[in-house]
Amino acid sequence: MEKLAENKIIEDLLPQKFGKKGQMWVISLLAICALGFYAYCRQLYFGLEVTALRDYVSWGIYISNFVFFVAISLVGSLITAVLRLTNVQWSTPLTRIAEIIAVSAIAFAGLIIIVDMGRPDRFYNLFTHGRLQSPIIWDVIVITTYLVISLLLLYFPLLPDLKIMISFKERNGKWLQKFYELIGSFWKNKPEQFKITNKAINILSITIIPVAFAIHTVTSWLFATTYRPGWDSTNFGAYFISGAFLVGSGAVLIAMYIFRTQYKLEQYITEHHFDKMGKVVVLLALIYLYFNINEFLVPAFKMKKSEEEHLMGLFTGEFSSIFWFAISASMFLPIFILIFKKGRRPKWAFIAGILVVVGSWFKRYLIVTPTLLHPFLPMYDVPKNYLHYFPSWEEWSIAGGSLAGVLLVITFFARIFPIIPIHETIIETDSHEKV
Amino acid sequence: MKKYKYILLLLFTLLLAPNILLAKTDEKNILALTLKYYNDNNISHHLWVNAKSKIDGKFQQIPNISVSFYITNYADKTNLLGKAVTNEKGEAMIVMPPNAKAEWLKSPNQNFIVVANETKQFDAAKTELAITKAKIKIDTINGKVINVNLIALIDSIWKPISGVEVIIGVKRLGGILNVNETQTYTTDSVFGGVTAEFKLDRIPGDKQGNIILIASLVDNETYGNLTAELKVPWGINLVYVSNFDHRSLFARRGYSPIWLELLAYIIVVVVWVIIFYLLLQIKRIKKLGIE
Amino acid sequence: MKSSDNSRREFLATTLLAGATLAGCGGNPFTPEELSDVKPSGEMVKLLSVDGEIIEVDKAFLKPVPELPALSNTEARVGIPGKKFAMVIDLSRCKSVKKCQTACNHMHHIHPGQNWIKVYPMQDSEKTAPYWQPTTCMHCDEPPCVKVCPVDATFKRKDGIVLIDSDRCVGCRFCMAACPYSSRVFNWEEPKIEKEIADKPYSCETSVPQKIGTVGKCDFCPDMVRQGNLPHCVSACPNGVFFFGDILEDAVTNGAETFRFSELIKDKAGYRLMEDLGTKPSVYYLPPVNRNFPFENIEEDKKS
Repeated sequence: MEKLAENKIIEDLLPQKFGKKGQMWVISLLAICALGFYAYCRQLYFGLEVTALRDYVSWGIYISNFVFFVAISLVGSLITAVLRLTNVQWSTPLTRIAEIIAVSAIAFAGLIIIVDMGRPDRFYNLFTHGRLQSPIIWDVIVITTYLVISLLLLYFPLLPDLKIMISFKERNGKWLQKFYELIGSFWKNKPEQFKITNKAINILSITIIPVAFAIHTVTSWLFATTYRPGWDSTNFGAYFISGAFLVGSGAVLIAMYIFRTQYKLEQYITEHHFDKMGKVVVLLALIYLYFNINEFLVPAFKMKKSEEEHLMGLFTGEFSSIFWFAISASMFLPIFILIFKKGRRPKWAFIAGILVVVGSWFKRYLIVTPTLLHPFLPMYDVPKNYLHYFPSWEEWSIAGGSLAGVLLVITFFARIFPIIPIHETIIETDSHEKV
Repeated sequence: MKKYKYILLLLFTLLLAPNILLAKTDEKNILALTLKYYNDNNISHHLWVNAKSKIDGKFQQIPNISVSFYITNYADKTNLLGKAVTNEKGEAMIVMPPNAKAEWLKSPNQNFIVVANETKQFDAAKTELAITKAKIKIDTINGKVINVNLIALIDSIWKPISGVEVIIGVKRLGGILNVNETQTYTTDSVFGGVTAEFKLDRIPGDKQGNIILIASLVDNETYGNLTAELKVPWGINLVYVSNFDHRSLFARRGYSPIWLELLAYIIVVVVWVIIFYLLLQIKRIKKLGIE
Repeated sequence: MKSSDNSRREFLATTLLAGATLAGCGGNPFTPEELSDVKPSGEMVKLLSVDGEIIEVDKAFLKPVPELPALSNTEARVGIPGKKFAMVIDLSRCKSVKKCQTACNHMHHIHPGQNWIKVYPMQDSEKTAPYWQPTTCMHCDEPPCVKVCPVDATFKRKDGIVLIDSDRCVGCRFCMAACPYSSRVFNWEEPKIEKEIADKPYSCETSVPQKIGTVGKCDFCPDMVRQGNLPHCVSACPNGVFFFGDILEDAVTNGAETFRFSELIKDKAGYRLMEDLGTKPSVYYLPPVNRNFPFENIEEDKKS
């Protein structure tokens, strides 16, 4: 990193007011959220009738969106915890980006599960009548735990930055200033305080890894604990986790590029970071590819009767175009782009990130829906619309609204807090100088 | 000439058409009632009625029809046994009430009548039933042999009745299990009796090994439906084992397997202790800052 | 059709008043409790005996009980004590008349288009014989749907019946994903039922009225069984395909015919669906051999 004066770093990294572009961005996200909210009100009023879900395909894009959110949230643990514990220095500017992606995604994962419920008014039953035997209860426990840990992991490193923020009273305005003081006025940069936070962050980094693994493994068990072809797999936990790290890293690539260009952070999120993250994505894509081969080649080799229809539907049948698109977009293409040094430049890495995320979203859809269209007993004696699934506009709006919601949380977070840790950047710059 | 014929025909139909349409709206469906008499174990007895109607070419059971049961063959207030409303299967029944005593003791033969009132959809309907009072008796004779006798009240004397089909079996949920290969028996001319050898090997009974034998007359034109029951210790003791209170993955809340509970609670406790420890650390930092 | 009807009625009669007070019929050594599973209510009703005497009988032994005492949710969750229900479906008798389905849909007020009972045209492979396979809920002894339910909304009872409590169900549909027999349906919209039905007090045993946002399925008609009657599908089938009974009594009946369960399964080589999954269903099938009817798929023929 180039030598930078402390003041300049603070100046560069302080959160900025929305520009014209930013305002447009926020307004359009709000509009999408509002449409999703309207669609959800309709769903509350008319029931799940407004969706295209029916008795065979009883889980649709709500659940695939849920899996997608849980997956993407795992990146928080990867970037902050795994890289931190392995003493990877370059990841410092990316930690907060990863952590806020994790927090907002996991919050919306919880919300979308409530959206999927037939009786959201009975949500409290999960607590008053919860059965420990049900993987859904495991998921409820683990998601809450992960959300709390992620929030803590966001909060502790934020404390020194809050002190810096509080010092810019005029810039902040009345309300923000009050807010900063409420959550961080007690931070005095005392060495004892640093000692405690460093220890806390270390404990969190260790704790979050098993919890993150648990959250996505349990999510995979929502499927793998059933008998259905395509879900009945012992490979599922590892398959889901590897996919989760991939999509999360893809999302970080996108976020890095956007923050870098929109907030003019070229000096902080450098080409070096894209190079490193690009390599990480290649590695993760290869791991995910490995699990995909396991997941599809092994049953395809045996071609059990119950699996056959499902697998052929993916390979050459009804879902083949989405399947091959998802496979190429989330694995083959990003590997191909990022394996070259030129491909790891910001713009290309950004494109690769988008490919990963979009491909992964469709991959989640393919995990949920095609299986449900291939039950053990043939689909029979039902109205015609029960035999196919294409999401209704309400489902698209709600799913879109939740995606916009995640982006909105990240956007507002970046408006209120420095998206790149100021204090840590200063310390690292200093230590570089000493070296 | 031919043309005129057609025109006339057309005119004729046009004139008739409204009449036909009107007639149709006025026309109600015909309600068919079936009345049956049941003697239950020679203690109580009841009447059963079923309401059916052919609607759109299909026989359907008609619910919500209010029916009145009368003893004797004319519907009069003094003979009213009671009223009932048909259920979703078009059935209604009434147990013989005490006020029927005088009429019931009058003669060995008995008439009943059931009347359905007119409704928006159906015309009034009624049906009659005549029975001869009869009893079926069940007993055992040496060893596992069942003896069944049918007697009827003829000229105020109970007389054995021959040549009637009876069923003998063991009472089971929803049906009667034959005690051997024979499906039905016919009463003989001497005592109006039949014997049946009990051949069911190791049939489960209640906890004491008791089973209930049943002799029954089904839809007999003269005597109606009669049953008699007898409890005998010919079964094997029922051993009832239930895993309802066992811990398992498919048991109810609070009955999950021990290993699962231990595992889950240990994990949750460990993680949340850490979380609370960290929350305490925030407090410590706060304290340090305020000092 | 008639014969099965009769026998069911006759059965009604046999359970009726089995334990009338014994005054005047001295030979009868039984107390009501011994002859019936029904507990006396303590409320006595006067009636006329066959011998023309006026006797008093406990209300609980009257058939039908004038008003069924409302079952508490706790009782409905435990089930009928001392029973273990099973069904035997004889595939050799089925010609897809679907009276079972009609009766079931009618009595449970199921949403049009949805069914708890389905009659599948099955053909295991190209050269094997086609046959009709009616399916109900299998009421598995190790039900995968119950395993995954997060709120005890679907549960396994002592009598082997798997029920749904629509007042508890949160509508997560995990059970539908878990059931390999596709026997569960979901109330996607507000059930279109008459007000009279919708106003009925809900019980897990009647499964009526259906409720929006909850799961429904075949319930083995425990309300019928409690009254000593057979499930609707059993009594509705004109061909006697369905046999129902208490496995602890070792007997199943279709109303007209009653068999020893163990012998029937042994003689006709009964089997259960998807035994390899380890769900241990309570529904047994008799293979479609020596059939009463040839296989004719009218719907398919119409299409082609």
